[in-house]
Amino acid sequence: MISWIAPLQPLLLGAVLLWSARLKLLSRHAPAAARRSALAQLLGEQRALPAYRLVGGVEAVLAGFLLAPPALPAEAAAAALLSLGFAGYLAYARLAAPSSSCGCLSATRSPIGWRSFARTGALLAASLLALPATTSWTAVLADRPLPAAAVLLAGAAVLAALSPELDRHWLDQLRQLKVRLTKPLPTGFDVPLDSTVEQLRRSPVYAETAALLTSDLREHWDDDDWRILVYSARHAGGTEVSAVYAVPRLRYQPAAVRLALVDEPTGQVLLTRQSAPDAPLPDWTVPVPAAAGAGG
Amino acid sequence: MTETIDRRRLLTSAVVGGASLVGATALGSLAPEAAFGAPDQAVEPGAPDPNFAEGRITGISAGMLFVTGSDMALWRIRITGGTSIWKLRPTTFDTVAVGDGLYARGLRLDDGTLAADSVWVNIVNLHAHIAAIGRNVLHLDHKGRRVVGHLVPGTSAARYNNTPAVSDMSMLRVGKHVQVIGAWVPDTNEVEIATVYASA
Repeated sequence: MISWIAPLQPLLLGAVLLWSARLKLLSRHAPAAARRSALAQLLGEQRALPAYRLVGGVEAVLAGFLLAPPALPAEAAAAALLSLGFAGYLAYARLAAPSSSCGCLSATRSPIGWRSFARTGALLAASLLALPATTSWTAVLADRPLPAAAVLLAGAAVLAALSPELDRHWLDQLRQLKVRLTKPLPTGFDVPLDSTVEQLRRSPVYAETAALLTSDLREHWDDDDWRILVYSARHAGGTEVSAVYAVPRLRYQPAAVRLALVDEPTGQVLLTRQSAPDAPLPDWTVPVPAAAGAGG
Repeated sequence: MTETIDRRRLLTSAVVGGASLVGATALGSLAPEAAFGAPDQAVEPGAPDPNFAEGRITGISAGMLFVTGSDMALWRIRITGGTSIWKLRPTTFDTVAVGDGLYARGLRLDDGTLAADSVWVNIVNLHAHIAAIGRNVLHLDHKGRRVVGHLVPGTSAARYNNTPAVSDMSMLRVGKHVQVIGAWVPDTNEVEIATVYASA
């Protein structure tokens, strides 16, 4: 069994290394990826990019040797060493710069987590598995094409599942599909408190009186068409009063907002404000620019 | 309870009851300079604001919160009848618990206490990506760390493209960037969501 699985590992390793080297050597996002990686902390901003390119070069050369026909134990040993190096780098980055990106396989920002370590472990395992290989992977593929393809696919699937860089291609899609099918979030259009507060803040009455308020929203309740919002306010002379706003609950009409300043211990109404309800359109609708030009 | 209802009825009629409307101009000028004589309390640039406190609550006694700031400053915060308390929603003093974090703004009194005008308990403001969506749960990816956001039906609201808030969350998508205002559940990576800002 191992006699035909082992020679396939160099193909898998070579493919991963080539993919990784492609980012580090050819991608135009490489400078940004290098800056975000822990290399910038390890070596300094100036040397991060050359070191990043150097790693890419080593990966590309090793991938070439792994993919080229004669299967030598030295190649697998070199791959194992490189994987160990990656594991050490990841451990360092996790400890010294936990907010840095992995910068491993893609320029996509991907924090270093257990999946990065698991992927490096898988690469190390594949390298060790490749050590006893004597024949080339081309021979195995020619000999038993179907089992070999199955092993390669399984290996690629494991590596893809352990790569946070690829999540947006499959994991996000799967999650979006699940949300579309199960609809787990509440739907409906009843009026949240936040919406009423927003309407209050856009009202002319609030614009006049906001400077009086000393507190955030203290209390609220519904009364038929109105939602009543109570704030603390400081009236002229520094007396503490309650600012009671009435905001339309089910319609959007900021101009209809009313205010009463009430001195609660005595129940005396100190001040009331309301403005003429106009504004047929919600004031957050953007006017169409063409309409202004049409008149002239 | 009836006291609350009576008080609310009184305040409601004061603001929407037509009969009790007092002519505003009867009270004199309504210009901001005249009516709003509150002195502004400018703070020197760079100096700490004496009227602001933050930290975690280490003790509660009648009308007073004992708070340890993140810089280890000790605060005594006085809760008055005019103090607004926010803990996921505008709420009352008895929902505040030891261990909660808070931001408070008010007026520093001579005895060193802070008479709070507003207290925001456990409030958090996160910029995050939606990593996954469960039943009334958003799994958020915040700078590489996972935060669990619980939707509270009836309280949580969504604002899409800066339009007024709605309770309809169905336009949230996995992978999208969102801003979340919510209440942290102390000592966990979980928040209860008050408002989520998203693009639609």
